[in-house]
Amino acid sequence: MLSRDADSCFWIGRYIERAEATARMIDVHYHFRLESAWLSEPMRWSSILSISGDLEEYQLRYADEDERTIIQFFVFDTTNYNSILSCIRAARENARAIREQISSEMWQCINTTYLDLREWSVERVYERSPHSFFQWVKDASHLFQGIANRTLMMGESRDFLDAGRFLERAGQTARILDVRYHDLMRLAEETNSRAQTPAGAEEIVNVHGWIALLKSVGAYEAYRKTFHEGVTPARVAAFLILNPSFPASVRHSIGRVEGCLRRISGNREPTPSNAAERAVGRLYSELTYLTPDEMIARELHLFLGHLQAQCNEIGSAIAATYLQY
Amino acid sequence: MGLCDDYQTEGFYDEMFAADGTPRPHYEPLYRTLQGMRVEEFQARCELAELTLIHQGITFTVYGDERGIEKPFPLDLIPRIVPAHEWEHIERGLTQRVRALNLFLQDVYHDQKICRDGVIPRELVVNAAHYRREFQGARVPHDIYVHICGTDLVRDRDGTYRVLEDNCRTPSGVSYMLESRLILMRVFPTLFRQNAVRPIDHYTTLLLENLRELAPPDRHDPTVALLTPGVYNSAYFEHSFLAQQMGIELVEGRDLFVNENMVYMKTTRGPQRVDVLYRRVDDDFLDPVTFRPDSALGVPGLVNAYRAGNIGLANGIGTGVADDKVIYAYVPKMIEYYLAESPVLPNVETYLAWRPDDLKYIVEHIDQMVVKAANESGGYGMLIGPQASRAECREFAEKIKADPRNYIAQPLVALSRCPCFVDGRLEGRHVDLRPYVLCGKEIRVVPGGLTRVALRRGSYVVNSSQGGGSKDTWVLRNGGEEEGASAMQQAMPRAGGAMSQSQRGRASSPRTGGAPC
Repeated sequence: MLSRDADSCFWIGRYIERAEATARMIDVHYHFRLESAWLSEPMRWSSILSISGDLEEYQLRYADEDERTIIQFFVFDTTNYNSILSCIRAARENARAIREQISSEMWQCINTTYLDLREWSVERVYERSPHSFFQWVKDASHLFQGIANRTLMMGESRDFLDAGRFLERAGQTARILDVRYHDLMRLAEETNSRAQTPAGAEEIVNVHGWIALLKSVGAYEAYRKTFHEGVTPARVAAFLILNPSFPASVRHSIGRVEGCLRRISGNREPTPSNAAERAVGRLYSELTYLTPDEMIARELHLFLGHLQAQCNEIGSAIAATYLQY
Repeated sequence: MGLCDDYQTEGFYDEMFAADGTPRPHYEPLYRTLQGMRVEEFQARCELAELTLIHQGITFTVYGDERGIEKPFPLDLIPRIVPAHEWEHIERGLTQRVRALNLFLQDVYHDQKICRDGVIPRELVVNAAHYRREFQGARVPHDIYVHICGTDLVRDRDGTYRVLEDNCRTPSGVSYMLESRLILMRVFPTLFRQNAVRPIDHYTTLLLENLRELAPPDRHDPTVALLTPGVYNSAYFEHSFLAQQMGIELVEGRDLFVNENMVYMKTTRGPQRVDVLYRRVDDDFLDPVTFRPDSALGVPGLVNAYRAGNIGLANGIGTGVADDKVIYAYVPKMIEYYLAESPVLPNVETYLAWRPDDLKYIVEHIDQMVVKAANESGGYGMLIGPQASRAECREFAEKIKADPRNYIAQPLVALSRCPCFVDGRLEGRHVDLRPYVLCGKEIRVVPGGLTRVALRRGSYVVNSSQGGGSKDTWVLRNGGEEEGASAMQQAMPRAGGAMSQSQRGRASSPRTGGAPC
């Protein structure tokens, strides 16, 4: 397969996953704010900006952190390269460049999604209910993946598409957990240290905050099925990072990336055959053998930083091994 | 009231209606269908077609718009129908013409006999903008230069098919021919049942066959790729479509490199040899080492690889000399010279400004003529005298006098018209026809082509860059409706073996037991 085509597949996977992750995150944050609006210091939108790494960019362009502006920024602002519209457009441009590689149905799906998305605006999002809009974005991502599964030949194009998707997912889960963990811990401290807190504030932060976090990566129901004893920060972190079966956990996602890379190279030996396999294999082993207690003992913020750095390294190694043209 | 009721032919040759307003016989089934249809019904089908085009991304971008508005390629749903006997004539004419063009190219890049015998002045050939001196004497596989030719045909006021120009470089539009058919079959399925329309979807199969023939002889399962200038090229949709339909790689210059006169593409598994390129990049941009050094679209060293016989190219290099509109005027003579036949399809009468008498005539009659620069296309560099102002005519006359070699003039052909659905009713619009000729071991013309329509009322310019659209082109099977229907019955599996056995037995019994014959 042409390196340029492989590069496009990889980035289609990443962009669509990124659009979906953004939709999930904003959807959940928006609704969590509704529930926690009566807190003396509600969840700020700025924490979302930190998750996406866009805080500085945003502050350069906008003065206020009001909800509409934030949604405009995350969904429709084409000068924000990570906005949903930017991601869908980039995925479509990549798909256009490799139309002959992917199936016609995949192209039509991404093309129609882009054209429909352009019909939306912040005003219309509020008119139709934000939830239904974000659900539509998620559905579009799932539809694309479903069509790819059903129509794209098993082979390199598909493996690069999936490698992009799962690498993006691993990175997004690590990042959202990092920022939310930090936020929730800070809120909990502030709530505890205050002499007078509104009744129920503690519960909102300690329970609902974590539930919102789980929901934002689509993990709430899966978590409930796994742990019957309630929601605690350590368990949530362990679930989202180390669970082998949850489709958005870092470990599961990295395992999928490794599977893709191994199919691409055809290497069945335990030793890696190139830099990409080495990078992904190293991280996967670490996540496979680490216990939750060991992980917490390593100070979660530092550990999550390490995970994100590893994901970046895997991306660079894949590019250097396969995608340069 | 039927859709066709107040339709006017306005003195032009109309593809659908005779001068007295009655539908031509091969249009009758369509006429009946249209008459039985309400405007809203037809409108709804237009919308369905447009939506299909948008979803499939068969669109072009309107430039200069911040949001990058995309519009569907304008497709008029009333088909252009060509009866079998007309097609037979066209096919014979095109086959003859492309044979002569290939012989001409072989000749001008070798011995130039046609010049030495005084049929075409040598200066005209070597001064043609797309003549490639670098290729003098180079051998090409099977001596074929033009593998894909798109020849533009027009019909004049009495319905005679004439050749307006040949496109021997990288003719485009074939994807619109194929897509228009798919869309019409979706939107008007019943029409295909009533009309015996010959299929065209084997075009890409034939094309791939021809391309594979161009591989170096020692390459058994050759790798064929389509070389595109990239996603910003206006024909990119077509490049991608053809690559997909043929199952070949779509490559850009930056995907390829040349090493020791072999061409390779950069893949995830390292370099992979490429044997044939269907190149949709012009000569000038093909190889910065040989041609334009500033080209970023090409592949350094490609031309040497081609000369060394390590890569097949379609079309060959230097074919543009035959597209020169001055050379075009000599094609009928080429046919007589190389084939000793008289041309089946006539040219449009052409005046060549480099001949002093013609120049005088052109300048004097410029307000009645269409003047064209010899090497412009897309409807640019031309003057339509009868529709131009006096000042424009004067200005053009000066241009011609300054550079007579590069101008020709033709009388304005009253192009035939075909009904189009415009603002809720049928109106006549001028059309041309570009069939696609494939030239390999044999010459094949897929029965159909791109019918281009000048959608602006009264306009003669059919180019898509100038507000043109397209129509599906139907070539009918011999004998029209009845024969087509029986051919379909033959193709249907017979139901009930025993039954058909007995029928056959009964039918044959008179013969076996009958009188000698």
